[in-house]
Amino acid sequence: MSRFLVERDGQTRVRLSEGMELTKSQSVLAVLGLVVLFAVPDITRLTSLSFQAIHRGILFGLAAVGLNLLLRHTELVSFGHAAFFGVGAYGAAVLASHFDVSSGLLLLVGSVLASTAIAVLIGYFVAGYLDIYFALLTLAFNQVLYAFVLQSGYFNYSDGLSVRPDGLNPPTLFGLQWTSSGYDLILYYFTVVVLVVSLLAMWKLVNSPFGRALDAIGQDRTRARFVGIPVEKYVWIAFAISGVYGGLAGGLFALLQLHVSPEPTLYAFVSGEILFMAILGGFGTLVGPVIGGVVLVYLLIQAPFYVEYYNALTGLVLIAVVLFLPEGILGSIPKIGTGLARRRSDPGLLREDVATVGSSLRRGVSRAVTTVRIIVFGVN
Amino acid sequence: MLEHVLNGLYYGSILFMIASGMTIIFGVLGILNLAHGELYALGAFCAFSIVGFVAGQVAAPTGPATTIVFGLVVLAGSLAAAAVLLPVGGALEAAFIRPIYDRDEVYQLLLTYGLLLVLTDVMKFVWGPSPVDVGVFSAINEIPTTELVGFSYPSYNVLVILIGVAVFAWLAWFFDRTKTGRIVRATAINREMSTAIGVSTDRMFTLVFAIGAFFAGFGGAMVSIGPSSASLGMGLSWLVLSFVVIVIGGLGSLKGAFVGALLVGVSSRVVTPYYPQLELAVPFLLMVLVLLVRPEGLYGTWGEIQ
Amino acid sequence: MLEARDLRKEFGELRATDDVSLEFGKTDGEMVFIVGPNGAGKTTLINLLTGLLEPDQGSVVVHGEENGAPVEDDITGMAPEERVRRGLVRSFQIVHVFEEMTVRENLRVAVLSRYDKTLSMRSVDDSHEEVETEIDGLLERFRLTDVQDEVAETLPHGDRKLLDVAMSFGLDPTYLLLDEPTAGVATREKEYVIETIVEASEADGVTTVTIEHDMDLVKEYADRLVVLHEGAVFREGDPSLLETDSELRRVLLGVNE
Repeated sequence: MSRFLVERDGQTRVRLSEGMELTKSQSVLAVLGLVVLFAVPDITRLTSLSFQAIHRGILFGLAAVGLNLLLRHTELVSFGHAAFFGVGAYGAAVLASHFDVSSGLLLLVGSVLASTAIAVLIGYFVAGYLDIYFALLTLAFNQVLYAFVLQSGYFNYSDGLSVRPDGLNPPTLFGLQWTSSGYDLILYYFTVVVLVVSLLAMWKLVNSPFGRALDAIGQDRTRARFVGIPVEKYVWIAFAISGVYGGLAGGLFALLQLHVSPEPTLYAFVSGEILFMAILGGFGTLVGPVIGGVVLVYLLIQAPFYVEYYNALTGLVLIAVVLFLPEGILGSIPKIGTGLARRRSDPGLLREDVATVGSSLRRGVSRAVTTVRIIVFGVN
Repeated sequence: MLEHVLNGLYYGSILFMIASGMTIIFGVLGILNLAHGELYALGAFCAFSIVGFVAGQVAAPTGPATTIVFGLVVLAGSLAAAAVLLPVGGALEAAFIRPIYDRDEVYQLLLTYGLLLVLTDVMKFVWGPSPVDVGVFSAINEIPTTELVGFSYPSYNVLVILIGVAVFAWLAWFFDRTKTGRIVRATAINREMSTAIGVSTDRMFTLVFAIGAFFAGFGGAMVSIGPSSASLGMGLSWLVLSFVVIVIGGLGSLKGAFVGALLVGVSSRVVTPYYPQLELAVPFLLMVLVLLVRPEGLYGTWGEIQ
Repeated sequence: MLEARDLRKEFGELRATDDVSLEFGKTDGEMVFIVGPNGAGKTTLINLLTGLLEPDQGSVVVHGEENGAPVEDDITGMAPEERVRRGLVRSFQIVHVFEEMTVRENLRVAVLSRYDKTLSMRSVDDSHEEVETEIDGLLERFRLTDVQDEVAETLPHGDRKLLDVAMSFGLDPTYLLLDEPTAGVATREKEYVIETIVEASEADGVTTVTIEHDMDLVKEYADRLVVLHEGAVFREGDPSLLETDSELRRVLLGVNE
């Protein structure tokens, strides 16, 4: 066995570093995913897919990866992650428009510092709360920030700030001034690298004793306390780490859009979207939130061009996920995989699936009709 | 100053009509209904269609007698508009909410968020994308102002405040004194036990959701036939504010929702004229303050109607 | 030695703990059993000692020794996790384990915490050799080796109870407070559970304070007996009191003699 291959439970696994191992099929998927990620600019050039939308989706997905640290491990539902995303974006925008910082990397450092500071501050207040109270408190802090930015001249109210340091050109990347299309391309590849590094770091984190302690906190807070884990402190740390991811994503978003305004970065509904990305992609997995991010953002951005009732379309997708795909897209792949294999050998099952979906729809409709009849006519 | 307080009470009354439904639904069903703001908007849109038709049948007010007739017609129209929400709410609960009672709260949030999006587009389909305007209903503003100790204030707003109090009184009476109300409360506390003694929890939950939808719709109708209009995005800001109200009051507490709504209403309307930049932040600062001092809210009971 | 000094706790009108002063672990490895009717304040006392509740009055003191001289360490007001670090460990009447983890993972969390390694960034599975060795020992002592890869929520009740206690032992306790360790355990397994606990405590010299309703077990294993009644200490002494003290029997069993 070489350094990168290990034998475990009779299976050959690819070993990246201590504790980070992939099964054979996972490795294939990972390599495939990487290839697709790097090929996105070429794929979008050849097809009608939107490059911008995918890039933005990846950025929101990165924020969702941060949120998932809380959702999956400490089992806390954050409804205020736009706070980090928005503060990250504004961190870069303020440095660019008020301080004329022209280096993209420095702007990004500003983003991360700003969002981490905010996460540490908010985390101090919310770390002791649970369940719906945690969700609503994070939402409240989010809205306070939004209201503050919206009504502050320093942040230029609802119009927001430009991320063009000299008022004309985008920031420099790696010390160079790029043409518009070159800038987008370089920024994209940079995003991919940041994404991969962030995912690896998160992987390492959740498989460390600290990650296990967060799991423990999520599964039984009282017991966690009584095995000696300082619960509030650890939730606070996790919250701050989660903020780093949000800030990084927000900063890259500022570099991509070159303009930051409150509505698309800080509003409470952005928080909702980030949360739903994690679930849509599969919050029981590491990479799921990224996939959820790309799918949801793509849907939100592109659907208006194709259908008039794009909100309903998105809504129906979410409802379908809740009712039929509760583990999200990526979380359901193993099940779908075995399901597909079974269906290939027995096509009759496919008819049963259609029947199941059909009957659950029929049951829903009939329940609704009965209810309406009772309310309107007073009889069953 | 008094005017600001009255404005706050008016604002708080509307807020209460939405928040009361949310808090009851959360208290009994355990679901935080994100689509509640859209039910409110739906009420507003229905009001325009129904009240528009009904008010068209009577002449615009010219004297005190016709004013009262006109006012009653408008009120009846709003009630009719809200009544549309009863079957709508019941159907939504039966078709979508019922399958997810036992799921993680995160899925419940996701599903009701999906409903929010779908409802928005349903309204867009029926009433079109542009806001429905005040138009014929501006007659309401011609109703003479009420004299309050030498201080004049729009009668319509006073009416809304009184209706807000009446709604609170009725809900309190319903949950406290009627048999059905008590069964609902019992169901909220212990579903298994209620099932065991032969209560249909499905029926109770549908009823509660429909009542919640009714008052949200009533609030929407009241606010839109006043000096306002109905637009597609109108539900969102009220939704977020209703969160704030029920968290301040304590999730599931009816009294809390009432006190919270008036608190939020009055404080934001009193502060805003002096510090306009605080307009959006006041409710949230209030909420953070309350949660830090009393994490369970002013009348928090953790999901029991009181 | 762990000392409760004039502890008082009131819930509204009810005085759940009424000026209780007790000492545990006068000798190393002492086994104290707390008995009393329902509502006597047994669990409240343990909650006060371990920091789940704070007393309205009185203090919790750990007596130790430093350079041969006795020292007092007042831990009143200290967070539960801090008390755990001082060797004050507890279990609950209702099993509290990490339900979605396997038996081994459950124990690993406890042992990592005890070695102060929860902030380590090394991989959790195959580093920290001393931790894994310790887990193997615990698995064996509590006869959980065969089920070590089972997820906690799927275990039979007796094993869950043992896992709960094993986690406590993984924290290397000086004082172990057990709230009805045999509650809900089938009668034929009770002896087995309590015997496992006794063996482990004796081997490590752990002072145990156990709430127990089964008087046969108390008589068999107790070094000392504490009887609580209406929040106060009603009797304290040798377990033979259970047979000789008729007033005690009346309070405890509702028996008139």
